[in-house]
Amino acid sequence: MSPKPIRAKNARTIAIQLDHRAASCPEGVTVLRAAELNGVFIPSLCSHKDLSPFGGCRLCMVEIDGMRGYPLACSTVVQDGMSVLTETTAIREMRRDILELMLSEHPSSCLICTEQAECRENQYTIRKSGVSTGCRTCPKDGQCELQSLVEKLGVSEIRHPVYYRGYEAEHDDPFFDRDYNLCILCGRCVRMCQEVRGASVLAFMNRGPKTQIGPAFGRSHVEAGCEFCGACVSVCPTGALVDKASKWDGKPDGAEISTCPFCALGCQVELHHKNGRLSKVHPHLDHEINDGQLCVRGRFCLPETTHHHERARKPVLKRGRYFREVDWPEALEDVASRLRGLEAGDFLMLISPDLTNESLYTAQKFVRSVLRTNSIDSTARWALPGGTGVWSRLFSLPISIEALAHADAIIAVGLDSRFYFSVAGVQIRRALREGAVLVTIDSRDSNLARVADHWLRSAPGMEGRVLRAMVERLFSGDAGAAPHAAAGCGIEEVSLAKAVRSIASCRSLAVVVSPSAFAVDPGGELAEALFRLEGREQTTFLPLMHGTNTRGALELGALGELLPGFEKADDAARVSLADVLEGRARPKVLYLVGEAPFFERPPCEYVIAQDIYLPPFEVDAFLPAASFVEAEGTLTNVEGRVQRSAAVEHLPDGARTGRVRPDWMIFSMLAETLSADGLHFANAGEVLCEISRRVAGFPASGDRRPRRTSPTVDILPRGAGAHPPADSARRLIAEPGGFRHRGIDLSHVVEGLSELRLEEGLRLHPDDLEELGVKDGDRIVVHVDGMNVTGTARADADCAPRSVTVHRPHAYGGLAHRQGLQCLYRFDGRLLNVTVSGHRNS
Amino acid sequence: MISDATRARINELFERYPDRRSAMIPLLLLLQEERGWLSPETMREAGEVLDLPPVRIYEVATFYTMLRTRPCGKYLLQVCRNLSCSLVGGEGVLRHIEKRLGIHDGQTTPDGCFTLMTVECLGSCGTGPVVQVNGDYHENLDVAKLDKLLDSLT
Repeated sequence: MSPKPIRAKNARTIAIQLDHRAASCPEGVTVLRAAELNGVFIPSLCSHKDLSPFGGCRLCMVEIDGMRGYPLACSTVVQDGMSVLTETTAIREMRRDILELMLSEHPSSCLICTEQAECRENQYTIRKSGVSTGCRTCPKDGQCELQSLVEKLGVSEIRHPVYYRGYEAEHDDPFFDRDYNLCILCGRCVRMCQEVRGASVLAFMNRGPKTQIGPAFGRSHVEAGCEFCGACVSVCPTGALVDKASKWDGKPDGAEISTCPFCALGCQVELHHKNGRLSKVHPHLDHEINDGQLCVRGRFCLPETTHHHERARKPVLKRGRYFREVDWPEALEDVASRLRGLEAGDFLMLISPDLTNESLYTAQKFVRSVLRTNSIDSTARWALPGGTGVWSRLFSLPISIEALAHADAIIAVGLDSRFYFSVAGVQIRRALREGAVLVTIDSRDSNLARVADHWLRSAPGMEGRVLRAMVERLFSGDAGAAPHAAAGCGIEEVSLAKAVRSIASCRSLAVVVSPSAFAVDPGGELAEALFRLEGREQTTFLPLMHGTNTRGALELGALGELLPGFEKADDAARVSLADVLEGRARPKVLYLVGEAPFFERPPCEYVIAQDIYLPPFEVDAFLPAASFVEAEGTLTNVEGRVQRSAAVEHLPDGARTGRVRPDWMIFSMLAETLSADGLHFANAGEVLCEISRRVAGFPASGDRRPRRTSPTVDILPRGAGAHPPADSARRLIAEPGGFRHRGIDLSHVVEGLSELRLEEGLRLHPDDLEELGVKDGDRIVVHVDGMNVTGTARADADCAPRSVTVHRPHAYGGLAHRQGLQCLYRFDGRLLNVTVSGHRNS
Repeated sequence: MISDATRARINELFERYPDRRSAMIPLLLLLQEERGWLSPETMREAGEVLDLPPVRIYEVATFYTMLRTRPCGKYLLQVCRNLSCSLVGGEGVLRHIEKRLGIHDGQTTPDGCFTLMTVECLGSCGTGPVVQVNGDYHENLDVAKLDKLLDSLT
């Protein structure tokens, strides 16, 4: 095991001498960190704040009084009264030597080229090439740590024989390219993958001059189980690892701090832009949420989502059998003419929980004050099983992401943090390194179950009951435990008791629950257990959902029965999404705002879609909305932080750039066309001001502090609990898919995600497939509730034995190939016994 | 599959170390002795036994030259190429083996009988040239002795 990174928590301050000057630093930090804290620069290419000391590049050598030779600043701990010289003639000379040795194996023709100066002046862009032979043909030109060190230390010749390794550049995996000819073997990527992400995909292979980085057995990254979190790419000091999408963009013009628009954690990202266009996304070092880490969606999927060639950028109206691009006034007038004089029950707006607070608020205000109805609904509801009452109460609990890292004990329910909520996984790992106890409750195998102290593998859908049983024992102790509590959950009393005992003595406890667990908990046992735990001291929670601004949607009244601020709306005639899906209502006008929860056009007279992509069916009017990088706004994360979503692309209207508008502005323009008052806002900031006046506790500007709501809505009656599965049958688990943004499934627009095929098909354990006599990729038939559904079988070793898992999308855009599974999606949260029969593809 | 007998030996190994993972190299040597080389499958199994991801085994196995990640012939000929052996004809011994078997450093004869490997000092400088065959030293070699040795092996 590698040594722990040296951290200093509440350490006392000690005095040291840095280059003959008095300095101070906390006890226990490295000399390198001490110098950094005192503003003294020591070059280093292998150290990183989150990684254990490595001592690989040896550039950080210093002289320390009383120590022999040249100790490394990155692996030497400061002592009281230590006297350090960070730069002497000898050290400077040796550092140059080391850099020269590195450069002798690093393509660096540009460094020693005599035309260097002219080249810089005349070639404004880097040369796109298959193989990097020098800095001007390297995608990292101008952003490379090695390059800047070489310039800083003034190395201009290489006195060693130059050696080119001649490895083939690797382009086959999604999201990032690798050219190990540029690698300096600093090992940051290997340590990041192992220590911080716990993925253990990368390692050093071979030794000596043949040393190379890569996955085991010469496999591809996909085969080796890479999560594509991009942490390795972010820490690479050279051009060996680079993002595919932004590879040849060159040095960005600047970066804006924004919020990731893909899930409710609300990770802070840096949007790097070039020539007014989003180039790439880097994690922001925000210690409260993601602290320099992201998942595959946040790290790699933003540029493709906003720049995809299918992006719809102009208003379109249906005229007879044709579709015509029109100007905004014409589109608004057409839509407004349909909205005039509607009766109650004639209209329904569906609005996506991925929109900003400003857009959600303006939308509900538009529906309520202009159209005078409460017919507004959202798929956010699907992410809030148990009802809005339960969730308004859940949001009143102390919810914290950061607390995971400092907890003494963690209970993770149904969470696999590889591709979703990775940041929560990283925080859990931090806690584990500090000695925390991890209990996972999951019917499936997961990356967290593999490192857990106790993995309570329940039967599918029984996770909630197991947590409830644990909580009961936690409060009553072994003596008062009801032995029947966990009956039928597939957990042995002994292991349950053991797990409870291991956390009972811990002071702080964090409980994290994934959307998959909530989705299969119809009885609300999970929420019940969480509410009971509220009484425990030093306990924090993290109930997760995929919809970015689900909490905002709930707080700002995007659901018909709730007004902004959790006030109850009157129950007068109101149409809901469920009414439409189940055929109980057929509104004349359906207004889809970033929502496409249908494969086919719903039976309405007039369908309006307002989104960044066209929906998967014909609509009568399409209004192009601005994407997350094209409009300012705020997003509320699961903790209640109201965080800025920054605009980095300010596109003028034009043939290519289109005529997109922020969602809130479209409602405002529509209201104006309908001659209605009260919706005139000049900018997003004005909307936020109005929200803060209307909703108690909502900040008027970017105030990132977490908030707890005060629940005012009654908790709704609950359904019956899940039953343990019958012996002969399998369990159908329809869990919410996570690759969604507004009305589109990200796997359709992001090529790499579709390559990973994480949410495709009917997923079964390989042993189950063998029992059925089918292979991965064969067609199987699922018999459920009197229906036969045919789909493609996918082997997934993480699946619970004797179950069938299907990912239920919230956004159907781009998922035409999954239409066959549609009838399974309606089993929202119910666990059903199914039988499966397979037939081999011939 | 790891046999019961091997598993018993592995458990014996584990008793020698405070941490299971410390037994990685002896474990790999044991598996190599049994199977001739360390296949990806073997490394995965070793990972399971040690509760480590396979990549951690792979990096160790590819680092040490005495751990083989490629199939090896029935007889492994390890020829010393350090100074002492070279001074008394070690290079001639190597060339002769290459010529006779038609293989070079790191290669295996098509019949799977011999694998040739050059190594650094075998610690028997007084009796060079030295060739190690499956762990046994053959010392003071010349071409005639070498032919006799190879004849006895085929």
